[in-house]
Amino acid sequence: MNDDASPRSAPRFGQASGVFFDGASSRRHEVTLRLADALEISENGARLALWPYADLRQLDGAAGHLRLRCASAPELARLDLSDAAFIAQLSGRCRNFALAADSGRGGVPRIVGLSLVAAASILVTALYGVPLVAGLLAPLVPAGAERFIGDAVENQVKLVFGKKTCSSAAGDAALASLVGALEREGKLGTQRAPGVLESRIPNAFALPGGKVFVLSELLEKAAAPDELAGVLAHELGHVAHRDGMRMLIQSGGTSFLIGLLFGDITGSGAVIFAAKALVDARYTREAEYAADGFAIDVMNGLGRSPKPMGEFLLRVTGKQGDTPFGMFASHPFSEDRLARMSAADKGISGPPLLDAAQWQALKDICK
Amino acid sequence: MTMVPNFPLPGADPLLVPALGPDAARPLRFSGDSSRFLSLLIRGACLELVTFGFYRFWLATDMRRHLWAATSVGGDAAEYTGRARELLAGFLLALAIVGPLAVVNFLLGIYAENLQAFASAPLALFYFAFTQFAMYRARRYRLTRTVWRGVRFWMTGSGWRYAWKSFWWAVLAAVTLGLAWPWRVAALERYKMANTFYGDLPGSFTGTGGALFKRVWWIWLTAIVAVFLVVAIAAAVLGARAHGSANEAKFAVAAATGFGLLALVLVALVAYPLLRASEWRWWASGIRFGGVSFASSVRRRAVIWLYAKTILLSAVVVSAIATLIVAALWVAVVVFHLKGGNFANFDLAKGFQLNSLAAMLAFVTAYLVLALAALAVQRLFLQHELWRLIIDSLMVSGLSAADDVSARGAAASAVGEGLVDGLDVAGF
Repeated sequence: MNDDASPRSAPRFGQASGVFFDGASSRRHEVTLRLADALEISENGARLALWPYADLRQLDGAAGHLRLRCASAPELARLDLSDAAFIAQLSGRCRNFALAADSGRGGVPRIVGLSLVAAASILVTALYGVPLVAGLLAPLVPAGAERFIGDAVENQVKLVFGKKTCSSAAGDAALASLVGALEREGKLGTQRAPGVLESRIPNAFALPGGKVFVLSELLEKAAAPDELAGVLAHELGHVAHRDGMRMLIQSGGTSFLIGLLFGDITGSGAVIFAAKALVDARYTREAEYAADGFAIDVMNGLGRSPKPMGEFLLRVTGKQGDTPFGMFASHPFSEDRLARMSAADKGISGPPLLDAAQWQALKDICK
Repeated sequence: MTMVPNFPLPGADPLLVPALGPDAARPLRFSGDSSRFLSLLIRGACLELVTFGFYRFWLATDMRRHLWAATSVGGDAAEYTGRARELLAGFLLALAIVGPLAVVNFLLGIYAENLQAFASAPLALFYFAFTQFAMYRARRYRLTRTVWRGVRFWMTGSGWRYAWKSFWWAVLAAVTLGLAWPWRVAALERYKMANTFYGDLPGSFTGTGGALFKRVWWIWLTAIVAVFLVVAIAAAVLGARAHGSANEAKFAVAAATGFGLLALVLVALVAYPLLRASEWRWWASGIRFGGVSFASSVRRRAVIWLYAKTILLSAVVVSAIATLIVAALWVAVVVFHLKGGNFANFDLAKGFQLNSLAAMLAFVTAYLVLALAALAVQRLFLQHELWRLIIDSLMVSGLSAADDVSARGAAASAVGEGLVDGLDVAGF
């Protein structure tokens, strides 16, 4: 294959054979290489190419082979050679062999450094930027749109909790009267009629758009109207602060940002889940704290004590500070909430929010 | 990655392939070095850990470069010319596409939910079609970065058309309980290969769904029967529950569920490699580039064994690292004790509370280390060794048709790869 190879001249210094592809066709040229002013590539005596040493770049070759390209030749022109002595002579003349390497200037330390900067910026944005933006955007969402979202969520909620809503004329009237008093005190304007859902979970929640749902187990566990009133005032606090909308924007923003880091924008990986839970929990704890503040003001404004609400919460949840994963908690600990509500207790100066008959009707609403 | 000039080793020279008849069947050759690949994987996993995952673009590129360069056809090694920066840029561009799309998806979802709870589920179908689109475009990127004998592979066709086909065939396969799956694979492969070129040499696919069906119908039947049996047994047990005492019934249900799941997992573990091995042989024999054709003799047993090794070794590596972590914790406790710490005075709850951020970070790091280790094992076996198994089983005929092919086609953008990455679809 080497037309220079004759018995008289064993491999001549500065000369070797190789395989050349010109980048225009897949034709295999078995070529003779010569180290001249540049790397001379010729086939059967005819020169195919002249590659300047400074333009030679090393590529991935098979084991035991050197594959070269030339920066000033067609992009895909390739030269494969395997003569160790020749390669040693050649690499002595090339300063830029490794320039084609992937990591560019600075190499791996640069990639690591830039990644850390990017990660830090993403985390700071997730922790501080997103809540800021969500806080600014949420009030701009028209009430109609918020109600629309609330209706969609309501459909899902009813499917999850079963469609069984509790209703009785006297019970509904009592609940409406209680929520109405809280809304007036909280200067909320009229919201949607509250509802009771049958469930074994002791909870209450407010949907975007202002509809409040009480789960029957919570009614069951409440010992006095003020206990329930406090919880409802807390939920109305979320409505007043437009927390539903804010959470929606925040949650979407954090998923997207954390997905940027780990590559899964839609957010299904376990780490992403954990990181998102952590960041979201931080937001919600702040929102819960603010909603408690709203509840305290409303109850005090009505001349009722916020303390029964704190006692009620602690009774339902038990002491919470003992769990090691407090960081993931969505609410402040019940004992801390009770302490805050006890401190804000100004005694009772107003009339009861529900009379005994109304309270009984509400307690019996699911019967 | 800095490249040290790759000096030749003594030994066989694939450049000097003995001249066979021009169209005789010749083997493909894979000369990948597993230990080099493993060190690349371990280094890559460590860097992925410290770069919050950003290194994945560089690792994927290094892996492909390694695999392509070690693969030679007709004595000439292939080459991967893609670069990590392209993947990074593709990912960032994909973000700009997926972000607004996610918002639109969300808004449409609200409208649908308003009409009917969970009416937004069909949007998941759009998501499926979109991932198919992304995978087609990702294939285009990889193909145009594949160079052999100084000429690149390239691809035409429309990603949306492919997604459309893929979607309806998936529906059909689902409706027929998988019976239509071989025809789906054949139709998609035909579309991909009819739009694939090596220089001016057009690709095509001659495999048929019927031929694949003949190879795999018994695997399908076994799997269906197994699922049916498990369901039947579960139903029978549930029926019997009415008679026995409450405790007996509970035990029977738990046992039946456990055995059923175990049986299903075992069936899947054998059926999946079997299916893949059959599919590869069928696929390879259907690939054409002009007059160039391929045949694979990959053994099903070898593929099953490879999967078994992957699972066993992942388990060993993960438990070894987990043991190390537990041992480290234990040493920490002992040191705390020796330093005069007294557990009687140590309020564990308070300690945890104060250190919950540190504990969380330690937990996440431990999880990531385990996940990356398992991933490294998986990549070594299911990419490198599987690649070796398949390439070494391949024979190519009629290679003279590729002796003088003119270069055509241009490098495609990496947005498809970015979408695949961003949508978390397994992409290689």
